[in-house]
Amino acid sequence: MSIKTIIGLGVLLFLQPFNGLAAVTGEIVGQGGQKFPIAVSPLKNQGGNTPEAGRLSTGIADAIVHDLELSGWFKVLDRSAYIENAQNSGITLGTFDFKDWSTIGAEGLVKGGFSVQGDEVTVELRLFDVYQNKERIGKRYTGRVRDFRRIAHKFVDEVINQFTGVPGVFNTRIVYVSNSGGRFKEIFVSHLDGSEKFQVTDNHTINLSPSWSPDGRSVIYSSFKDRNQTLYLFELFSGKELKFTPRGPGRYLSGKLSPDGQSVVATLESAGNSNLYLLDKSGNVIRRLTEDPGIEVSASWSPDGRQIAFVSDRGGSPQIYILDLQSGKTRRLTYSGSYNTSPEWSPKGDRVAYTGRVGNRFAIFSISVDGGEPRKLTSESSDSEDPTWSPDGRFIAFSSNRAGKYHLYVMQASGDNQRRLTGSGGDDTKPSWSPRLD
Amino acid sequence: MKTHFRIACYNLLAGAVALFLTACAPSATSKPDSGAADGASAARNPGGDQQAGEGQRGGTKESDAAASSLKQLQEGKAPVTPASSPLKDVFFDFDRYDLSGDARTILRANSEWLKSNPSARVEIEGHCDDRGTNEYNLALGAKRAQSAREYLSTLGVAADRLSTISYGQEIPVCKEQTESCWRQNRRARFVVLQGRSAS
Repeated sequence: MSIKTIIGLGVLLFLQPFNGLAAVTGEIVGQGGQKFPIAVSPLKNQGGNTPEAGRLSTGIADAIVHDLELSGWFKVLDRSAYIENAQNSGITLGTFDFKDWSTIGAEGLVKGGFSVQGDEVTVELRLFDVYQNKERIGKRYTGRVRDFRRIAHKFVDEVINQFTGVPGVFNTRIVYVSNSGGRFKEIFVSHLDGSEKFQVTDNHTINLSPSWSPDGRSVIYSSFKDRNQTLYLFELFSGKELKFTPRGPGRYLSGKLSPDGQSVVATLESAGNSNLYLLDKSGNVIRRLTEDPGIEVSASWSPDGRQIAFVSDRGGSPQIYILDLQSGKTRRLTYSGSYNTSPEWSPKGDRVAYTGRVGNRFAIFSISVDGGEPRKLTSESSDSEDPTWSPDGRFIAFSSNRAGKYHLYVMQASGDNQRRLTGSGGDDTKPSWSPRLD
Repeated sequence: MKTHFRIACYNLLAGAVALFLTACAPSATSKPDSGAADGASAARNPGGDQQAGEGQRGGTKESDAAASSLKQLQEGKAPVTPASSPLKDVFFDFDRYDLSGDARTILRANSEWLKSNPSARVEIEGHCDDRGTNEYNLALGAKRAQSAREYLSTLGVAADRLSTISYGQEIPVCKEQTESCWRQNRRARFVVLQGRSAS
């Protein structure tokens, strides 16, 4: 887990984007926005003739390409068009010919090298501006060979920072529910590219509604493993599991840790009524938040921890409401459609993403927290559900059955550039995007 | 009235559940609706041959009852209510937990069996089709189970014999994306809890 970032030779963060990339600065590239043409060279083996060499050379480059394409902001030029031989050319300014890259239309270029010592790899990665013949980023990373993809993710986060002024979100993880192992629903954690997949639960029942602690070190989920659904908090680093046992009869359908990590908003169902409760970190009830006899579920914290978006059927159909914790006042947020559920408050605090029913299908929408017209982000030719925001608020991951089974997808917050993340062979659902990780 | 029927049915029940059903189901004021019967039979699954699982206690009709859906899942069996079960599933409309006329008819028949078997305790499972959000559906399933429980209670079944659990959309009996399949999944299901003498 210890990838040390050693400041590379001459790391200078130019805040100006490259020429021609002004469209990327600020929010989101709109539909038809220009994608930045970039080449990602296979890495040069700089030391040690290890059996890993071939795998690392293209593996790191592939991971970088995957992330750049996932962002939607780059057009990665096909490797077969590259002129120079990565193993015979240099990776620093003056040791290769920019013309080899401008000729094929590249405006940006990623080059790098690696050397393996034992099970440790040192990777040097650079971003060049092909137009201006300049180096923009130079970084050196050291880590375990098997964690090489994480090095690629960290570098792409730097590249995104270079272009947009905000670091990327590729060194993050997704927690989700999958039945890939058979008929049970278990909790899994993996990187966005599906690598470093870790199975959190293996209790051969049904586990649901996973979400992250704000420090990214734990996940919380609801489980049927004791028959009566209750909440568990699982520490990923220690493997310790904390159980939230309801006082009295009832079942916890879900729980979400507050942005300060000090409390949990949980759905407790008792005698058919589900209501929201505020719990402390040990699971003791601080107070009950809703009193309605109907259905109140799916709480999502505002980033400042002062408000909670949730679903209620108090108006006759499931709609999104917002509760102000201090005043206790509730207001209805969604008015269009007869079925709006699973709200997720954006990290910037300005919008709420949710699942809405369109005819017999379900689509992802987002709406301003002040109300108004919702934006439909996915097509209703299939079902898309369970939105979750990236920690920078520029992307939304979700689950969709557009390819038959449910898989996880990611898109820009505008709905553009929808790409599949997982393909476990089973149904992958209920994604929750981690905060940025070290 | 109720007492009378309970005794009458109990006697008839000496062995055969089928006989009980023939004899007692019509005792409800309204006729069993053909729609309801269709709904119940639709939940039968040819692939889901039931062993009714637990505690085969000779002669008691409870051995024909449905086993817990979670247990069925764990045993790799479809959570199908056996045709021979004395307690039939009731069905709901999309995103609804109110009881239709058909559902009430079935619940009246179920209540008669419960009154004839006063020591039987039942867990009512609420289920949903797989459309919509998992957590909302867990809450909706809890509402469905509670609707059934409350109606049985008004029919004279002691509420403390009836517990509820919701499986939401998580343990479907049918997995196709069709209305008839969705309908089979929008159900309340009755599981006779084992481990206590039935008489």
